[in-house]
Amino acid sequence: MCADLVKTICPFCGVGCGICLKVDEQGQLLSVEPQQNHPISQGKLCDKGWSTAYAINSDQRLTQPLKRINKSFYPISWQEALTTIADELTAIIDESGSQAVGVISSARASNEDNYAAQKFARAVLKTNNIDHCARICHSPTVAGLKQSLGSGAMTNSAKDILETDLMLVFGADPTENHSILGGHIMQAHAQGTELIVVDPRVTRLAKLTPMHLQLKLGSNIALINALLHVIIKEQWFDQRFVESRTQGFEQLAKHVKDITPESVESTTGVSAELIRTTARAYSHAKRAMIFYGMGITQYVSGTNNVISLANLALTCGHIGKAGTGVNPLRGQNNVQGACDMGCLPNVYPGYQAVAELENQEKFSKAWGTKVTQQAGLTSLGMTKAAQSGDFRALLLFGEDPVVTDPDQNHVQSSLKNLDLFVVAELTMTETAKLADIILPAASFAEKDGTFTNCERRVQKVNQAIAPLGEAKGDWQWLQALAKEMGSKLLNWQSSEDVFNEMAALTPPYQAMTYQKITDNSGLQWPCTNETPNGTTILHQQSFPIGRARFICVNQVDIDESTDDNYPLLLTTNRLHFHYGCGSMTRNSPLLERETPPGVLFINPIDAKALNINHQAPVSIKSRRGYVETRAMFSDDVPVGLVSMPYHFKEAPSNQLTNTAQDPVTKMPELKACAVVVAALAKDQVPKTIQQLQEGK
Amino acid sequence: MEIYHLDDLSLLQQHLLAQYQLYQVVKNDDKQCSWQQQTKERNEPLIAELPQSSAKDFFFAEHENLLIFNGEYFQETLPTPAPFVLFGILSCDLTAISYQDQFFKDDPYYQARRQQCLLVGLDCIKPCQQGFCPTVDAGPGVREHTADIILHPLENHQWLLISTNDKGTEAIKGLSLKTCHWHFLTQRDLTLHQCEQEFTDDSDITQAIDKLNNGEVSDSFWQQLAVQCLGCSGCTTLCPTCSCYGTRSITDESEDKKVITQQRFWDSCLYEGFQREASFHNPSAEAGKRVQRFWQHKFGNEFFAEFNRHGCVGCGRCEQTCPGVIGVHSVMKRINNNA
Repeated sequence: MCADLVKTICPFCGVGCGICLKVDEQGQLLSVEPQQNHPISQGKLCDKGWSTAYAINSDQRLTQPLKRINKSFYPISWQEALTTIADELTAIIDESGSQAVGVISSARASNEDNYAAQKFARAVLKTNNIDHCARICHSPTVAGLKQSLGSGAMTNSAKDILETDLMLVFGADPTENHSILGGHIMQAHAQGTELIVVDPRVTRLAKLTPMHLQLKLGSNIALINALLHVIIKEQWFDQRFVESRTQGFEQLAKHVKDITPESVESTTGVSAELIRTTARAYSHAKRAMIFYGMGITQYVSGTNNVISLANLALTCGHIGKAGTGVNPLRGQNNVQGACDMGCLPNVYPGYQAVAELENQEKFSKAWGTKVTQQAGLTSLGMTKAAQSGDFRALLLFGEDPVVTDPDQNHVQSSLKNLDLFVVAELTMTETAKLADIILPAASFAEKDGTFTNCERRVQKVNQAIAPLGEAKGDWQWLQALAKEMGSKLLNWQSSEDVFNEMAALTPPYQAMTYQKITDNSGLQWPCTNETPNGTTILHQQSFPIGRARFICVNQVDIDESTDDNYPLLLTTNRLHFHYGCGSMTRNSPLLERETPPGVLFINPIDAKALNINHQAPVSIKSRRGYVETRAMFSDDVPVGLVSMPYHFKEAPSNQLTNTAQDPVTKMPELKACAVVVAALAKDQVPKTIQQLQEGK
Repeated sequence: MEIYHLDDLSLLQQHLLAQYQLYQVVKNDDKQCSWQQQTKERNEPLIAELPQSSAKDFFFAEHENLLIFNGEYFQETLPTPAPFVLFGILSCDLTAISYQDQFFKDDPYYQARRQQCLLVGLDCIKPCQQGFCPTVDAGPGVREHTADIILHPLENHQWLLISTNDKGTEAIKGLSLKTCHWHFLTQRDLTLHQCEQEFTDDSDITQAIDKLNNGEVSDSFWQQLAVQCLGCSGCTTLCPTCSCYGTRSITDESEDKKVITQQRFWDSCLYEGFQREASFHNPSAEAGKRVQRFWQHKFGNEFFAEFNRHGCVGCGRCEQTCPGVIGVHSVMKRINNNA
């Protein structure tokens, strides 16, 4: 029976729901229940949250370090693992310099783990080659909002959903990916709050409102500029706000002067009338919130898409007040925290620029070692440099880029090219299979620390069970590795020590302590001596850059359009059953049962033309790769567009996706590429990518 | 039935602790209530509050091994728990156990645990936030046939103790108790009646039940409602009468031989895969059909006939936990307004 109920934070998605882990007398995790009085989730969890115990207790968990010899893995001791890694890292740095090594940390790991990872890279390895998966979800948010508003995070809080008059959901599918927050949106809508959905697919939320703008893939900027055109032309903008809080409005007005709703009808596929209705509704609402997700960021125009949403909110003054704001819905449980911790090549913790001499000196002094001035590589930069042999050793934890990054074949061959590849993981992922050394990682249930959710709320994660087998927390093994390399710079007794060191160097976290976080059910940054109880709404009086900036941006078409050989457009989506690469959620027999291992959503009209039946085996080919999976009829995708979730290693959408990048952030265009779909023989079982590759 | 007067509840707790493992609902610092084991040293005051998780997993485990085959023979996995008591269990959850007793009548795993359990019920004398037990004949007073012992609070921290059967009488043997006058039972009835009056208007629920059973709820209503079902399984997990389960074989080949374990786990009829057949045929492929079936099981006449009561015990847990805002109150209201 349940002997103890340990309060902690759900490890799936950026909403950060309160979860209680039920532990028995033997210290085994039995199951979970929601925290009834959690400020956000209030007694609710999604299907992923409810099945947490399956992910943690999985018999697939790695329990000891493994070393690869040829194609097989053999168990080794931690000491042997650490010595091997330390020796090879040292040798590679001696030969090729610190630029040849790097770390990819994890948006699933705690703030403490992430802080330790970037400190390990910068202070021990002496490189700024540190990154994590925000590169492929919200790097355009950080870059775009930083330029427009001065801070790249959700401006408001989840609770604002019940205080607003209008919700504009742009390129986001919150009921699937942020289910509890999506539930808040449904609740507010049921209580009369207006809901407008902009999405190429008919999402669940789109089914609840008559206001669905079903735009064509990648036409966000054209649509937003036309909205701005109407709002400015009709004088519906917030003149007082624009005059007192912003700059650059004149140029913006000039820029959108000729972008009439009629002029973008064919680009966007949205009627001029609906654009006008939307412009009126958003600008006339007393309070209006914008939510957005990957449908904004995962384009070559990602950063500009984000900027145009900021333009829209600023024009109407829907920012800096309760029930307003520009609110990116961040994917992973701690992607906000991993960014805050400086697991990005260009910033130290708290977004302090690496390029600034003053910051280099600050961190050199604090850490007691001189940090490098050389710029660092992004994760895609590291894999690219690995291809050419310039980048030789990578430590990676809690991520599965082989499944989640674009152009799988390229990623695989790059990682294989490394001289040393170390992966710390819960289970044997596709990426881990390529490692030279695998380290068994402790799960969130096995460690103390903090996660920062998408509304900037830093919440306490509490250890409920002992680490499985010889598994270790990430900061612990990083510390052990640093010691093995002769460095005493990572020297902490507890996760609280790590947090305190971090908070002292990270201005937005300045006034936080574990005790205060626990007492307040989380604290939202900035939490400083001036705002000791945290900040629920950003930019109330001023922006970090003084006045917010209007920045004129132009529509950029998707990189790869359809042609005779590749006549359909493919987009990617997520299913609420699964999380990321599926390495955790797919251990649940219930969630795993919900879908075949890989699906292609296709409009019945397209399917009929191609002679494809519901649930039938199909092949999908793009310029980069080929996969087989099953077709799922769905009116949720329009004719001409097919969609694939990326959770399945058997049929990875990233065999197909495009690597064309946003020039600012190197965000790949995961949301659009051209494909050709064909029916396979009726009784053929779709081959997994592994079978296909072995058959080559 | 025997009626006693109890001055000091802790005497009863100590008495039971000598024979049973004793579980009681405890409230933590966050005001969250859950079943926790009590010991002679750790003995918290009895509270009449609904724990978020019902008591069903004491009998119907969330995950359990049904059998293990080690390559040569089958291993027995029937549980052998020590005698235990659920002390102060509320009427709605007791009604649910009585309902589950019928469903799992022939289930040896369930019964192995159930036989070891003494149920000490606790009358509610104040309505709870989402509860509507009087509407579905499940409270606020403990129904005699659902508990072995019933506790009813009197003034000045005094208690009325009612033993409803031999198991109850056996359990309190040796405890010095004063038998008391039957008029205390009348007083109990009055208090419970008064409590029933304090529940909010339940016409939404009763009218919706009628509409549901008169075939007045359209397919399109269910389809529209089901857009809001996120398939989270929260309602079925917390519902004290939900009993659906799935099974799977787990093969462990790490040793020299192959060990196969057949495991059963809580399932949810709101999952699309719950009724899907291997051929992909699915009688409830549409979410609307699944949501409809769930509520039909809770309030449909056909199930009333089978179990002699509704499948819902009025605890209101689904209302609190549903992220899609389609828990019992929301659904019944919408049936009345829109169906």
